[in-house]
Amino acid sequence: MTAASGTINLILAALGGEGGGVLTNWVIDVAEREGWLCQSTSLAGVAQRTGATIYYLELFPREALEGNALPVMSLFPAQGDIDIAIASEIAEAGRMVQRGFVTPERTTLIASDHRVYGITEKEHLADGIVDASVLQTVAGQYARDYIHYDMLTLANEHGTVISAVLLGALAGAGVLPFATDSYRAVISATGKAVASNLAAFEASYQRARSRGVEQFQPPAGAAGPDRFQLPAATTAQGEKLLQRLRAFPAGCHEILYLGLQKLVDYQDYAYAHQYLDELESLLALDSGADDYSLVRECGRYLVLWMCYEDIPRVAQLKTRPTRMAKIRTEVQAEPEQLFSVTEFFRPRVEEMCALLPKPLGRRLLASAGSRRVLGWFTGGKRLRTNTITVFVLLRGLAGMRRWRRASLGYSHEHALIQGWLQAVRRAAGSDHALALELVECGRLVKGYGDTRARTTAQMQEILAYAAGGGVSAAAVASLRDAALADDEGRAFSLALAA
Amino acid sequence: MAERSFAKEVLKLRAGDGEVFRGEGILAITKALLQSGVSYVGGYQGSPISHLMDVLNDAREILAELGVHFEANGSEATAAAMLSASVNYPLRGAVTWKSTVGTNVASDALSNLASSGVTGGAMVIVGEDYGEGSSIMQERTYAFAMKAQMWLLDPRPNLPSIVDMVEHGFGLSEASNTPIFYMMRIRGCHVTGEFVARDNVAPGFSDRNPVEPKREPEKIILPPHVYAQEREKINLRLPAALAYIREHKLNEFFPGKHQQVGIILQGGTYNTVIRALQRQGLADPFGNTDIPLYVMNVAYPLVPDELVEFCRDKDQVLVLEEGQPEYVEQGIHTVLRRAGVDTRVRGKDIMPMAGEYTGQVTLEGTTRFLEQALPDLTLALTATEVEALRNPLTEEDQQALLTNVPPRPSGLCTGCPERPLFSAIKQVQKELGPFHISSDIGCHSFATLAPFNLGNTIMGYGLSLASSSGIRHSLPHKSISIMGDGGFWHNGLTSGVTSAVFNKHDGILVIVDNGYAAATGGQDIPSMVEPNQIIATTMDAASASRTDAQSIEDACRGAGVRWLRTVSTYSVDTMMDTLREALTTREPGLKVIVAEGECMLNRQRRIKPLMKQSINDGKRTLRARFVVDSDTCTGDHACIRISGCPSLTIKPNPDPLRRDPVTYVDNSCVGCGVCGSNAHAAILCPSFARVDLIYNPRWLDRVSARLRGSVIGWLQARTERRQLETAL
Repeated sequence: MTAASGTINLILAALGGEGGGVLTNWVIDVAEREGWLCQSTSLAGVAQRTGATIYYLELFPREALEGNALPVMSLFPAQGDIDIAIASEIAEAGRMVQRGFVTPERTTLIASDHRVYGITEKEHLADGIVDASVLQTVAGQYARDYIHYDMLTLANEHGTVISAVLLGALAGAGVLPFATDSYRAVISATGKAVASNLAAFEASYQRARSRGVEQFQPPAGAAGPDRFQLPAATTAQGEKLLQRLRAFPAGCHEILYLGLQKLVDYQDYAYAHQYLDELESLLALDSGADDYSLVRECGRYLVLWMCYEDIPRVAQLKTRPTRMAKIRTEVQAEPEQLFSVTEFFRPRVEEMCALLPKPLGRRLLASAGSRRVLGWFTGGKRLRTNTITVFVLLRGLAGMRRWRRASLGYSHEHALIQGWLQAVRRAAGSDHALALELVECGRLVKGYGDTRARTTAQMQEILAYAAGGGVSAAAVASLRDAALADDEGRAFSLALAA
Repeated sequence: MAERSFAKEVLKLRAGDGEVFRGEGILAITKALLQSGVSYVGGYQGSPISHLMDVLNDAREILAELGVHFEANGSEATAAAMLSASVNYPLRGAVTWKSTVGTNVASDALSNLASSGVTGGAMVIVGEDYGEGSSIMQERTYAFAMKAQMWLLDPRPNLPSIVDMVEHGFGLSEASNTPIFYMMRIRGCHVTGEFVARDNVAPGFSDRNPVEPKREPEKIILPPHVYAQEREKINLRLPAALAYIREHKLNEFFPGKHQQVGIILQGGTYNTVIRALQRQGLADPFGNTDIPLYVMNVAYPLVPDELVEFCRDKDQVLVLEEGQPEYVEQGIHTVLRRAGVDTRVRGKDIMPMAGEYTGQVTLEGTTRFLEQALPDLTLALTATEVEALRNPLTEEDQQALLTNVPPRPSGLCTGCPERPLFSAIKQVQKELGPFHISSDIGCHSFATLAPFNLGNTIMGYGLSLASSSGIRHSLPHKSISIMGDGGFWHNGLTSGVTSAVFNKHDGILVIVDNGYAAATGGQDIPSMVEPNQIIATTMDAASASRTDAQSIEDACRGAGVRWLRTVSTYSVDTMMDTLREALTTREPGLKVIVAEGECMLNRQRRIKPLMKQSINDGKRTLRARFVVDSDTCTGDHACIRISGCPSLTIKPNPDPLRRDPVTYVDNSCVGCGVCGSNAHAAILCPSFARVDLIYNPRWLDRVSARLRGSVIGWLQARTERRQLETAL
């Protein structure tokens, strides 16, 4: 306690529903129990809806009181005047640092490492997630002491909310001169979910005391490709594929192996061989730069495109043996609890025709009359997958994949794929960077219905633009970024016109 | 039923003489009103005084015991007019609202009240929504106090001062026959503390002891009385007020050893100023200061004698006045120059003209002032050091945070009935837009933010339709106005619907009918919303229990609306069809769409205990929620862009081949069904599925589950075998 005000100043940022108010009241009660005065205030405003609510507390020891005079405490958190900053989420900790509330001389920062994504991150057309490791690095630089771990996971492990874990972290941080039993006592006094809150408090308290911080783990899948060991084949046909795969540089093995798995599941062995044919011809053109990134990345997007999500594919995925168990975990159902699953489908005429043999599908699509008739069946459908009829129906649709090669959809997608691969191969000979950027345009191909139509069309425009010659890799990259900037194609049209 | 219940806390309002009262600022004010013997209270909710209305509402029983009359007024104008009870009779009354918006709405009645003058103490408790945490445009109530000659109290933000000033406020009001503004700042409303209570005082007049009707024609605001009233304000009421303020020492002088300087401040900023002085080593924890302070707990009127007394022997004073223009500073200049005092007045020349005086701003300003006024004094922090605190980050780190701290704009809650409405409008806009939309005040104003980005102007509560009237003839489409049910009853029916019908307005009015004043904390409003059969509605037996609801549809029809549709918002398809029809129909006149769906926060509060009860009672109970199939989701997030539901979020893609995060529904999903409805309406993707969890299944559930399980299981076992045969 070094402040001239004689107070300990604590700021807390919590998101809606995280129990920031409860935590504040706990701290007030602990202070009260320990013979300290506590003044708190909060800023809700419209932040009560989704933003962060900021609570601000000042604590003053009653033993320092002189006569009847009460201390004058501030209602404003001020830069350079904060002893303890608590953030229920890492980006909120970043915001506190940004606002100057975390200073190296004074502030102990307590923050959970988990992320609650903001709307700008969520609504992005591709990946708008901010870099949490940057936030942690900066936060660590400006805090006098930085106590952080994934407090949400800890809360979930104990079946409670994050406020109890934050209280444990605060107690374990040892910055408040209060006995740990006082914290336990106020939790018990609330009379609600006492056991789980106490357990979460203890676990967090121990963790904070030992300063058991976690280093940020990048998400799985980003691990270096060199660590991947090609598994042995389990079938003779598989061995044939793996034999061909071994001829590729080791750095490509993981992606291509996953690709082959997907293709065999999606169609058959021949389809996987077809994939390797394309990649072999590209390998011949790859300069080997960046450990054959051209082949590796092309392998990634090519398999995703070849496994385009048509009706049989969706039906196949929806009837997967593992699916119900996955859903059970996701909805946190009790082990034996019954539940039903209702799918929301709305196939368009295009998707239905894509399923048909090419000549027939094309004729139906071209005819207004038959489109209208098919249109009667395009209303939104709610199908309960856990009933036998729906399951059998979906299984039947999934089985239609054996005729996929003859379908209109197949010829449509593969014509587009060929156009893309040609452009890549053409560039690969002269401009490796350009080829890589064109490969990366494979990322645009996703979504269903209108979304897919838009993204594929944008990709065609990029390819057409690149075909004009004299195009730089950077120009393609910026066009691609523009395509991902909004879903109405505004930025893309502007970029294309520029 | 409001979002926060004060049912337990209001019991503290019964505290008597000598008891220590602990609680929030808002609660302390309520207690002070009862100690002052108020006869009637009212107001209109809005941050930061929403809770004051909630407290009064929850305290009805205690109010009734004392004979205090309470009304949840229809608008701030209604509340202000309520104060007319104090014009002829010695009745004390208080109303409350959010300022300056509420003050603007109330201004007609307030001006007339101020002109007539009052006999009983009349007080308006304004929640001054200025600075961080505010939800409105930045203006101050001060100007209104000056032009109408109402006194403005701005007490120091600690509970004893807050309570004292309420009691003195009534005294001041009665001594000077003038209505009073009592200003509470945002943080002061929520500050916690304690004070020693006194007994509540039953009002002299109430239903138990009626007044004897009495006419005082000179108090009616018609000529020639209005001329006399204006002169009376200046010649009688102001001097009486000044005398009362001086006599009761409502403003405070705090001496300090550096007598050649001083700081003049309003009570509300006192704690911030003391903190700045503490940090500079010029004040102790208890506020004993080296720098003399003159604290104006009465912000208006200025008390010339006190100002002259404080400034006369000083070289320089600093006036700390938050906001603009600098009325107080100008007033002090006038006072001092008239008195021939030539003390230098510093103020907005070294302080920012606009914006809140936060801890940092106040510290910077006082430091700047003291460095110049007392050059020999050594401060704990130099002005340069203080300014460096403003941003302790290196440029590189600043940049890093700028790109990696995502904004969190306000948005609609999980399951909000307004979400599907805006999803529908966004989709119709794709076909028929782009749209110019007149928006309004309420939760629905969040639609102007990401991800909906719908709406062009917000002119005030219930004013969206009115604000379409000037642009409608110049739009390529029929004008579109969106208004909440709260705004409709507050103002929209008269200034919007009635005026539009009268002027043959051909546009569309969407009334977002969620059954409550939701944005201010879920208070009841005249109308109610029928609970609709949405997916989470398995438990929808009990609707709210009011029998006195007034109907929006009837009100519109009564005002002459012919084209009227009521649509459940959760049905995105129907809503889109209705919007399309409204936009394209040749039928003339105003088209009103009542978009119905009960506020999900309120609904959950009602349904959750029922659900729990039902499960505990062993009844078969369904709970719905949604999931996204991460296998079929391709990570485009179109579903998020037309929804923005907090429970609809993202997670890393489980498929290592895919780079973009997949959509994911977290466990806060309430199963409202908007995701599915949108997936259908926008033809999004096949990834959404609804899961109905069954509690206490009946034998039929169990038997059919077993049958299905064995057939599907057998088929899946075949699939698994085939998968193994055709693996790599």
